[in-house]
Amino acid sequence: MDMVSAFSEVRKERFSWRNWSPARRREALWGLGFISPWLIGFLIFYLAPMIASLVFSTMNFELTKPDGATFIGLQNWQRLLNDDTMWLAMSVTFVFAIISLPIGMISAFLLAVLLNSANLMGRSLFRTLYYAPTMVPLIASTLIWAQVLNPSDGWINRFIEIFGFDVRGVDGLRWLNDPAHPNLVFIAYSFIGLWTIGNAMLINLSALQGVPSELYDAARVDGASWLNRLWSITIPMVSPVIFYNLVLSVIGLLQYFIVPWVLTGGSGDPEGRTMFYMIHFFKQGFIFNKLGYGATLAWLMFAVALVITVMLFGSARYWVHYAGDSRS
Amino acid sequence: MTAITKSKSNADVYQLRRRQETITALMVTSVAIIILLIYLMPMGYALVTSLKSKAQTSEVNAPILPSTPRQFEYDGETYDIMLVPQEDGTIAEWGLVQARRRGASDFIDPENPEAGIIQWEGNWRTLEKAWEPNVQWDNYPDAWNFIRFGRLLMNTLGYALVTMVGMVSASALTAYGFARFRFPGKNILFLMVLSTMILPPQVTDLPKYAFFVNVLDWGGTWWPLIVPAFFGHAYHVFLLRQFFLTIPREMEEAASIDGAGPMTTFIRVILPQAVPALTASALFHFFYAWNDYFGPLIYLAGNRDAQPISIGLAEFNGLYSSEPQLILAAAIITMILPLAIFFMAQRIFVQGIVITGVDK
Amino acid sequence: MSKRYYTLFLAVVLMMLMSISTAAQERTTIRWFVGLGAGTDAPQIEAQEAIVEEFNNSQDEIELVLEIVDNDQAFGILSTQIAAGNAPDIVGPVGVRGRSNFPGVWLDLTELLESTNYDLTDFDPDLVEFYNIEGEGQIGLPFAIFPSFLMYNEELFDEAGIPYPPRNYGDPYVDWNGEEREWNMETLRELAMILTVDGEGTDATMDEFNPDEIVQFGYGTQYTDIRGRLTLFGAGSFADEDGNAQVPEHWQEGLDWYQKAMWEDWFYPNGVYGGADFMGGGNWFESGNMAMVTIHLWYLPCCTWGLEGVDYQLAPVPSYNGVTTAKMHGDTFSIMESTDHPVEAFEVLTYLLGEKANELATLYGGMPARLSLQPDYFDTIGQNDPLAGRDLNWDIVVAGMAYADNPSHEGPLPNLLEAEDVYNTWTGNLDNDPDFDLDAGIQELIDALQDVFDEAQ
Repeated sequence: MDMVSAFSEVRKERFSWRNWSPARRREALWGLGFISPWLIGFLIFYLAPMIASLVFSTMNFELTKPDGATFIGLQNWQRLLNDDTMWLAMSVTFVFAIISLPIGMISAFLLAVLLNSANLMGRSLFRTLYYAPTMVPLIASTLIWAQVLNPSDGWINRFIEIFGFDVRGVDGLRWLNDPAHPNLVFIAYSFIGLWTIGNAMLINLSALQGVPSELYDAARVDGASWLNRLWSITIPMVSPVIFYNLVLSVIGLLQYFIVPWVLTGGSGDPEGRTMFYMIHFFKQGFIFNKLGYGATLAWLMFAVALVITVMLFGSARYWVHYAGDSRS
Repeated sequence: MTAITKSKSNADVYQLRRRQETITALMVTSVAIIILLIYLMPMGYALVTSLKSKAQTSEVNAPILPSTPRQFEYDGETYDIMLVPQEDGTIAEWGLVQARRRGASDFIDPENPEAGIIQWEGNWRTLEKAWEPNVQWDNYPDAWNFIRFGRLLMNTLGYALVTMVGMVSASALTAYGFARFRFPGKNILFLMVLSTMILPPQVTDLPKYAFFVNVLDWGGTWWPLIVPAFFGHAYHVFLLRQFFLTIPREMEEAASIDGAGPMTTFIRVILPQAVPALTASALFHFFYAWNDYFGPLIYLAGNRDAQPISIGLAEFNGLYSSEPQLILAAAIITMILPLAIFFMAQRIFVQGIVITGVDK
Repeated sequence: MSKRYYTLFLAVVLMMLMSISTAAQERTTIRWFVGLGAGTDAPQIEAQEAIVEEFNNSQDEIELVLEIVDNDQAFGILSTQIAAGNAPDIVGPVGVRGRSNFPGVWLDLTELLESTNYDLTDFDPDLVEFYNIEGEGQIGLPFAIFPSFLMYNEELFDEAGIPYPPRNYGDPYVDWNGEEREWNMETLRELAMILTVDGEGTDATMDEFNPDEIVQFGYGTQYTDIRGRLTLFGAGSFADEDGNAQVPEHWQEGLDWYQKAMWEDWFYPNGVYGGADFMGGGNWFESGNMAMVTIHLWYLPCCTWGLEGVDYQLAPVPSYNGVTTAKMHGDTFSIMESTDHPVEAFEVLTYLLGEKANELATLYGGMPARLSLQPDYFDTIGQNDPLAGRDLNWDIVVAGMAYADNPSHEGPLPNLLEAEDVYNTWTGNLDNDPDFDLDAGIQELIDALQDVFDEAQ
């Protein structure tokens, strides 16, 4: 089941409701019944705020002067086109996403495979320790990383120095803010990102638990190598959760905010490389109090992320295998 | 395997396999340890720093591990002991009374204080202090008491557990609806589920706040944080839907032939098979709620007794902004309970293996 | 318990509950928001809670409710409350910067001051005028003031073998040769270089000094932005009288001084060193590895706990071109314009600024603005930890008031919030880029500020 073909299906279904058999109607009612908790919550807690924020995007709404808000039509949307920082922010966000996404996805998967290995002694302990960084509140872990990556006395540079490289001080490895080598910051942020893969790792792990061991036994008999089994059995079997992790990571990276905000306060240092889209959005909406324009930026990102999400769902039919999805 | 058993006796094969397995296990475990050490290095920094004295955290050439220099009291003042090389090649342990960049620095010999001040010509900055291991365990009780941990623990735990129950049950029901039933507008509705995640949350926080505080008059209470949890969240709905879709339909079909309704099938057949996923979902929500800071901050601003640990931690950080050892001790304390819960929940991941015939 | 008793019991409980709720209804709720300045640390929170309780017990017209939000988040929370139409009634303590972040939301107190005949004779009239903002009116009353001064670590001076800074404004610095020098930025620079040392003990005046391994710095203007840093070279503003962007001449000289201090003379922590553990993660002076800083009075009670056993002293702020400028912070409590109960809020305000002025000022570490309270202030604050047992040169603090900066380094600018972002980002480049081209940079700063200023029109 994927989104793209789903839309045509929806139309078909709507017109065929009257022709449905009683069993089919009963199924539909049960389905709506099952999703009703979320549906009611959505109508009460999400729909109105979402519409409100869309309305804000047509207003000149200053955060601290709610009474002075005026309707300005599409001016905020026109402003997007001339907002150089927006374009910079969009490109920075995508560049970092492209660098960081595979790093995070692959590490979360390989770690899960390692932690699922029957050959690993003390698995419970390892799982807990590998998950531990995810339990540190992100603000706190970012501050810890800032000290560890400090160019003059951080542990990372002190560690590298043990091997004889002079990386400390002004001419050293300035991970988080080196105007001469600004792209270094993407590597540093990817490190920090590895501390948030715990959930993806755990989801992979619980999916790996669900892969029936008979499948591996059969493959062993056929003489398949470890890599072979990984590729032809494990990955297809856990593809539904890899897909989940992929969608979540993409959304998360497009909304990447807390780490750069804590580290730079929104300055974009070094050389604008950390001017992520959400930083720009947050500054406009909540630091400069231009909530109307902030809402416009948010909805633009919403549109971009939605298109990407729908595309990912469209791709899913080629590589995601659902064992229980035989009917739709 | 069959080929091997033919050529060798059973005992030999058994031994060979045992040895191979042990070697593989040792290798895999060593790899896991090495990666872990690198991965947790910043955590090591946090742990080590949390056990240091305030003075050591800002000392330039201090050892990595928690230590304090040996000290000597002379004339009512305490002085750090330094290792001072002597002309005869031995090393004397003297207290540094007055460091001087030019000319001689003043020392005192603890073993012979009557001799008075000793002048030592040389660069005192090249001397090492007589560090000795000294772990500041007190940082932990200090942090514990300060945050009112005992008092805030119940607030936090109550919030996390209550919303966990609501979140997982509502999300599981919704996810099952999306995973198994055909109904009009299903795909649009699922896209709406995802939309609540895709729209940056900050932009809807304000209208939500206005709704809770002005319309429902829930300011200063836990309700705005608890009630929405009972309607599920996209994050969990999507996750559980993915898991439900991996469960083959045969067992449900069998149950339905036996006359079980959809609700019975869901509870008796699906939930037991999805225990690892439900556990994961529950844990994620628990940890999220445990660290949730912004929500309680905005809704409980006027109700200090109801606040969770995360806010106590922030107050603490404000006061001790330049005492990293206490801040890190506090951060580590707040991690202990979630870590213990995680460790115990391991069982469920290990036991909850779904054994099913899969035909696809 | 029989059924009748039970019913009776229920009725009594119900009546009690009703009487409580009606009593609560009669009271007007006034919300006091703390977070834009001091007041969010736990001991302060408890003391403020006690004050609220005392006030609520002292009368039955007003129910005062305290809302405390951690400083990092307070700006966001307050703007959310305002935007949602759920603003508090009183906000404070709040400094100039906190107030300027929320232009136009404060109540003009002029009418209330007149109708209640409020006695202003206990305040310095200039200070009252300080809170009379053009276009907004009298938006607060003086509550606490925080003059600035130079702080120096005596032990680091002893180690270097050089004499301490002068004790009084106007005194010269008597150097290691016994020669008198004017106590100005140039003298400060020379001292600071001697006090900047690398791991080998070589100082920044020597050729073999290694700037990659600095272990001790000479001077820093701690905990302030570039406007605060440049105010040492004289008060000024990025906006001229017509509202156009500028960098005043003396500030351009100041920028040159700071750039050299960070990247040639090495005595001022640049971006590489500023956040290091050995520099206290930003609290430079408290780390013990910083010889001199300029800082405000609030620093002493809040941020010097790590200096136990270390001797330090207070000294005059050095002059530049013969002019001394010791920047000033002032805190107040303000009422929000949106309040439904201005009279009751004003009653609370006068309680906090009157009866409780001394208690609160001491709590927040400021000097009371009330002239009658000032003489006893330093005795009180000097007795409490972490200052107990120190013989600090308090006269310098009082004397510093005469050199306050006008215009204030936290003063208004057109489109302040965005202007602040522009110059902070620019400062980040100055602090982090060894090859920063200052002349071109100043022009870029002016252009960027001008763009932001123009948007305000």
